[in-house]
Amino acid sequence: MKLLTHNLLSSHVRGVGPRGFPLRLEATEVRVIPVEFNPDFVARMIPKVEWAALLEAADHLRLAEVPKGPTQGYEQDETFLRKMHHVLLEVEVVEGTLQCPESGRVFPITRGIPNMLLNEEETQT
Amino acid sequence: MDHEAAQLEKQHVHDVYESTARYLSDLQGKAWPRVRQFLQDQEPGSLIADIGCGTGKYLKVNSQVHSLGCDYCGPLVEIARSRGCEVMVCDNLNLPFRDQGFDAIISIGVIHHFSTKQRRIRAIKEMARVLVPGGQLMIYVWAMEQKNRHFEKQDVLVPWNRALCSRLLCESSQPGRRKPCGHLERSHPYHPPCSVCSCSVCFKERRDSKRSHSLDYEPVRARTCCANISKDAGEGNGFCNTLGKSFRSWFCSRSLDESSLRKQIERVRPLKNTDGWATSTISIQPSRHSSLDRDPQEPFSTREPSSDEDVFVESSQKHLEWLRAPAPGKHLRGDPQGETGRSGGGDGLGSARSPEEGAAAGALGEGKPSVRRPLRRISTVDSTDSIPDDTIPVEGQQPDVLDSRAFMRYYHVFREGELCGLLRENVSELHILSSGNDHGNWCIIAEKKETCG
Repeated sequence: MKLLTHNLLSSHVRGVGPRGFPLRLEATEVRVIPVEFNPDFVARMIPKVEWAALLEAADHLRLAEVPKGPTQGYEQDETFLRKMHHVLLEVEVVEGTLQCPESGRVFPITRGIPNMLLNEEETQT
Repeated sequence: MDHEAAQLEKQHVHDVYESTARYLSDLQGKAWPRVRQFLQDQEPGSLIADIGCGTGKYLKVNSQVHSLGCDYCGPLVEIARSRGCEVMVCDNLNLPFRDQGFDAIISIGVIHHFSTKQRRIRAIKEMARVLVPGGQLMIYVWAMEQKNRHFEKQDVLVPWNRALCSRLLCESSQPGRRKPCGHLERSHPYHPPCSVCSCSVCFKERRDSKRSHSLDYEPVRARTCCANISKDAGEGNGFCNTLGKSFRSWFCSRSLDESSLRKQIERVRPLKNTDGWATSTISIQPSRHSSLDRDPQEPFSTREPSSDEDVFVESSQKHLEWLRAPAPGKHLRGDPQGETGRSGGGDGLGSARSPEEGAAAGALGEGKPSVRRPLRRISTVDSTDSIPDDTIPVEGQQPDVLDSRAFMRYYHVFREGELCGLLRENVSELHILSSGNDHGNWCIIAEKKETCG
């Protein structure tokens, strides 16, 4: 699971609503998988990123050199873009957990795949 | 109601995909061109979700976008993952995403698996929720109206006939034989043991392999044998077309939107219990599904008359004539219960074609008369094959051995206009941009309205 993916994930435990974001990330196995750098692609991703959630997740993974936010003229800032590329796309959580900040419910990440299924009781509307 | 619906879907969607994932992975057809186009039309840097991604065939269509695949079925997701896709396991009814995260979403062959109208609406609303305003959603569902055939009801159960497809695979991989489409098979000097195959030789090997959740062993072997098949299918031979036909056996299920559903659910069981089936509103002919579709033109075979559950519809005289004519020189294995005098004593030939199965078929020009010939050839089973309904000699049978009677998949096939109507009346946050029919699927592209949150 990439951090870009984590940035989109939210708990859908019943009753939690927007307080289910972001999920608290813990990892027992992390891998770095090189991905071809595409500056335009990364630049377009930047506006979609929820920064606080990204920083929190990166912090839990003890990543260094994570930009605190978009810099002025970031679209042309290759250093910035490369760092963001690395953080968003190259860091893979292979084994770990995602925890709902509101309900405490834990979702596992196994072999890089988050399992976000809830029991029927947890989802009944 | 919702609980029953969930139970039906568990039994006839989720459990089936879970059990058949390792076989399905190599047999799925190629991607629908219009879906590919939709994905390629998305802006570079877009965030795309494929809800119900299966093995991920759409996730790498456009390298300029970031695609996230989701599926309820763990084994399918694992396969997608092994191909390097970013995927997760989740439920369409409760998407674990924050609002307005995605620029585009595709839902290909998914919504028709929900067994009530409310659940179908909920699934679509969930996808609308996680779309950015202005973002687009593409939905593909099976159409009730098919070119050469006709579903009598909208709620159907489609059997998975592994024995069929494994027989096809065996035959197709034998050197020198003509493939279903009539093309000469390229020779395979080595026929690797196939985990999918039910040939007597292969079965021994398959029996020995343990069931495991690891994909290391079985799928590799399946791929060795099947890879040629799916590759060939991509080249436009008749294999996938044939395979698609075999999957078009189907049986009616009562809609869960109707009353008296509880009894229905209780009877929804693997088909060994044929008594229960016979008395329920789900119409099954147990001996039927073993035989292959004989002809794409012919919608259904007639069945032994059954009380009020005549689900199959004969739509033409031609069809009846075909039924009565004996198979060309070959013994028909379709029905051990005494219909050997009839050709095509086989199963219902519904056109329950999933997009993935139908893709290749569609591309091959489904319904062309020329397909008829190859099917007859393929359906002639040589004496070493056993009728799938019979006890296939697999001792120490793993629970996941695909049986011709089990693994029926539930579909609610859509009438023309139904999908549009569903969105218009229930999902006001979406605005329909276009709709149409693509190879037996109703498709729609809708846009999230700007003013909605």
